[in-house]
Amino acid sequence: MIEIQNLHKDFGDLKVLKGVDLSIKPGEVVSILGGSGSGKSTMMRCINGLESITKGKIIVDDFDVSKSNDLREVRKRCSTVFQQFDLYPHLRVIDNITLAPIAVLGQSKEEANDKAMELLNSVALGDRASAYPSQLSGGQKQRIGICRALAMNPSYLLLDEVTSSLDPEMTAEVLDILKILSKQGITMISVTHEIEFAREISDRIVFLDEGRILKDLPKDDFFSESGGKSDPRIARFLSKMGNV
Amino acid sequence: MFDLSSMTEYVPAFVEGFIVTAQVSIVSIIGSFLIGVIVALMRVSTNKALQFISLCYVDLFRNIPFIVLIFFSFYGLPEIGVYIDAFWTGCLTLSVAVGAYVAETLRAGIINIDKGIIEASKSFGLSKFRIYQKVIMPIALTTSVRPLGSVFINLILTTSILSAITLNELTGASKIIASTTFRPFEVYVFLVIFYGILTFILSGIIAVWHRHLNKYNGVA
Amino acid sequence: MYGSDGFTIYDIQLWAEGLSVTLSIFLISSFLGLLLGCIVGLVRYYRVPIIGKILMMISEFLKNSPVLVQLFLVYFGVPALIAFDMTPNLAAIITLTGNTTAFIAVIVISSIEAIDFKQLEAARSFALSERLILSKIIFPQSLAIAMPLLVGLAINQLQVTSLISVIGVIDLTRVGDIINQRTFEPFLVWPIIGATYFIMAKSIERIGARLERRFSAYHISNQI
Repeated sequence: MIEIQNLHKDFGDLKVLKGVDLSIKPGEVVSILGGSGSGKSTMMRCINGLESITKGKIIVDDFDVSKSNDLREVRKRCSTVFQQFDLYPHLRVIDNITLAPIAVLGQSKEEANDKAMELLNSVALGDRASAYPSQLSGGQKQRIGICRALAMNPSYLLLDEVTSSLDPEMTAEVLDILKILSKQGITMISVTHEIEFAREISDRIVFLDEGRILKDLPKDDFFSESGGKSDPRIARFLSKMGNV
Repeated sequence: MFDLSSMTEYVPAFVEGFIVTAQVSIVSIIGSFLIGVIVALMRVSTNKALQFISLCYVDLFRNIPFIVLIFFSFYGLPEIGVYIDAFWTGCLTLSVAVGAYVAETLRAGIINIDKGIIEASKSFGLSKFRIYQKVIMPIALTTSVRPLGSVFINLILTTSILSAITLNELTGASKIIASTTFRPFEVYVFLVIFYGILTFILSGIIAVWHRHLNKYNGVA
Repeated sequence: MYGSDGFTIYDIQLWAEGLSVTLSIFLISSFLGLLLGCIVGLVRYYRVPIIGKILMMISEFLKNSPVLVQLFLVYFGVPALIAFDMTPNLAAIITLTGNTTAFIAVIVISSIEAIDFKQLEAARSFALSERLILSKIIFPQSLAIAMPLLVGLAINQLQVTSLISVIGVIDLTRVGDIINQRTFEPFLVWPIIGATYFIMAKSIERIGARLERRFSAYHISNQI
């Protein structure tokens, strides 16, 4: 369970998050929508402690993100897939995936390698295990990014605009994998611009606007005329994103 | 005029000098590298005191001529009861002085690493030590091979100054040869060309090594 | 007792004289090196046959060998070859000028080459004279690119001047050596000499930073 209580985040004078309350239950798939500057990526970064919290609280499975002793436990449970992939450029694909399981979870090299190969095969990249990230396409890199996150056996998978750096064809190959994952019972929190994708995989949609949650609705309500779309800001956003 | 034929009998003395230059260089490269790594880590640490000390160190040793430093050590160390010969005085001073340049080069390599990569490693719960050990230092070291190579080639050229504290390395040995043969022009022209070719060969090796180690970046 | 140990008031005078020798030789060789380096760089840039190649090869050897050896070559080697009455100061100026020239030439070439080539083609297509292209297009932009490199070089060359003490020029370092030999106070003498160099280097850095700001502002406003 992830519990966000009255979360505030300032960057100097700029108030990015102005009191966000959100709780995510195990097994839920939640998509966070919102325009650029709405604070959605910042919120994601707060969850695993990449940004310090100005005010409020984030509790992940009884561990407090802002306590440095707890942070390591939080990070073991939450794995992130990043917009820019952020693979380790100097490591081969297989070592990208096994680095944290060995160093953080204390897995043996064989154990981590076996698991990594299993994951690579599941995204059809088993033959690229010894390639370097620079030798892969964007879509392939992001599939490795997903494997790297899953190798930690996370309770929560955080997806931070994972397709924003990809062209449409590659976007499709990444989304296909995530769709399969969403049906396997892993808790997913996804910040995305892909409305159709959000609609397909999510249980719930959270709409952020200017640092506050504007709507937090089950998927079907959110996309109905009487639900989310009744709010002019959300209607405008959806039509701008090509969804009527 | 230009005559090297009578020089053959001095080849052994020259080779001996070269060996001393090589020894001083190797010891000092290792020493300055170790100091440089530590100081670079201090430079990028979040501890204000460590930052300040390392900044002072780098600033000081990059702005004072090496010959002043070597005279300071050569005359100063015995005063405080440290009796080491010219060879070790040279190694020590070179390591400390060049360590400042190594530190700045590595620091540049460290701060140029994409922040996202470091954040990614943080997000998976890697400890600070592990992030430095597994991510930051390997990347910084491989991207710094070429600039570090320049620093170390400069170190080799700087060893010539140790002739001023009576060490008969390449330049010191050549000075003796020049004065006994009365052929200073030939000797020093040869020496300039010798150092030049040595530098050229080393730069070539470093460039190849750099390309090899940075293959993952799509450099090659 | 060996002579008079301890410092005297004349040591300050000696220090000042050493400082002025260091500064003069630094300024003279930097000025001459800048001038010659620009000429060598342009000769190379315009691909003057043979001479350009030879000059660059000499530059490479000057850049890649110890300045101390170059000093020995000029001070001991040249007079032995052509029976010439060489003074330490002259040898110092010749050597440092040559060394600075080599570095400047490389900076000149790389700064010119860093300019967008299309601009030059455009200028040439308007039939601007080569002299005009050089003074109005190449020079101002190259200067902005070269400025940080020139400042770095100046700080380096200031330190290099200390080597001339080895061939007997009474510069700041030699003054330090003389006073140190007499007083046996290395922990006082060398830190003072070191501090003098440090302050000079920092001054160049400060002046350089100001120049860099000025020229880079020029560079940007010219691009708009």
